[in-house]
Amino acid sequence: MRNLLNLLARYNNLIVFLILEGIAFSMVVTKNNYPNTRFVNGMRGLTNHMNQVINNTQTYFNLREINETLAAENNALRNSLEQSGTKKDTLFFSVTDTIYRQQYQYTAAEVINNSVNKQKNFFTINKGSRQGMKVDMAITSGDGVAGVIVGCSDNYSLARSLLNIDFRLSARIRSNGYFGSLNWDGRDYSHAILSEIPQHVLVNEGDTIETTGYSAIFPEGIVVGNVSDFEKTGGDFYKIRVTLNTDFKKLHFVNVIGNMKKTEQEQLEKLIQ
Amino acid sequence: MINSVLRFGLIFIILVLLQVLLFNNIQFSGYINPYVYLMFILLLPVEMPSWLLLFLSFATGMIIDLFSGSSGMHASATLLAGFVRPFVLRLLSPREGYESGSNPSMVVSGFKWFFFYTLVMVLIHHTALFYLEVFRFTDFFRTLLRVLLSSVFTISFILLIEYYRKGK
Repeated sequence: MRNLLNLLARYNNLIVFLILEGIAFSMVVTKNNYPNTRFVNGMRGLTNHMNQVINNTQTYFNLREINETLAAENNALRNSLEQSGTKKDTLFFSVTDTIYRQQYQYTAAEVINNSVNKQKNFFTINKGSRQGMKVDMAITSGDGVAGVIVGCSDNYSLARSLLNIDFRLSARIRSNGYFGSLNWDGRDYSHAILSEIPQHVLVNEGDTIETTGYSAIFPEGIVVGNVSDFEKTGGDFYKIRVTLNTDFKKLHFVNVIGNMKKTEQEQLEKLIQ
Repeated sequence: MINSVLRFGLIFIILVLLQVLLFNNIQFSGYINPYVYLMFILLLPVEMPSWLLLFLSFATGMIIDLFSGSSGMHASATLLAGFVRPFVLRLLSPREGYESGSNPSMVVSGFKWFFFYTLVMVLIHHTALFYLEVFRFTDFFRTLLRVLLSSVFTISFILLIEYYRKGK
């Protein structure tokens, strides 16, 4: 017994170190990957207010640029409204028909905290569960994919940025429809890698890469970026470097897209498997 | 005693604010991210009991974690830095030992000593931090490059701040 106590006395620092390191390490392992709602509520709640203040100041300096992008987006939206406003076969369209129900719901939000310099980047937006945000909703900036919500508090949501080495996106080449998996390699905030495109497919520099909509998170056809260069890897697949459309360094106004038929699709898919 | 607690409290607040408001926003090419808050651990008194040092470094890391939205990463790395600090100090100790009640500083021990002390501590801290962040060993050398580049910047900033402190 005395030996044990001596041992404890001699190595007490090591023991304190190991206990604290154990706590920190378990936090790294469990929470770094999937920050859950409680974590967002508890930890981020403290700092969100401060981030909001900092962000407000920063926004003020970028107003001109923000105005320009918003005006451009407005124009694009007006144009698409013009095209989609008229239904083609009104003959068979019935108001009570539930098939024509709206599938995607759009909300505008502001990014109040963002980073591009880590390997696992997250950003925070200023809308939360009270404004109808839910986990797994898609986030796009005006011109491309930005991220996916991973946790919501009452008034804020935390999103995994595309610039996160855990982020996977099903994407395809617009011109020929071949799809693969897009993820960030952790190097450069303006490029990502599209893999799993077979080598018999014709790929050209500058080809547009867009989302497939298979995951029921992102709607189909949202532009991700353009092919910047590609190389043949050891397997049968290309490794395609994609220049991202979204400039993550000035990510500010984003759209949150909720798929209202997501649960339906997932339940069906689960049923068959 | 109270005086020194107040002094270190002030240093702590200034360093955390610098880190959160300034250095966390330097997002230079994705490779460089100085973590200057480590300086707090460097400056604590030489004779501080190890357990207190461990708790302080854990707390410092946790606070930085809170503000940068990473959980446990900084706590873990800073705790490691706090744990190895006594060994580093013993390794670098001058021939006649440390004066009682002294703090590691550039004034007392000179530029060369302070530089090596900072170098060793920052390298240990940053290695732990960046590998914990990636949490995998693929791209081993790229992470190593990030460690080295960020260390260069962290060390430069720490030396600069210390030099300014010395001037006052």
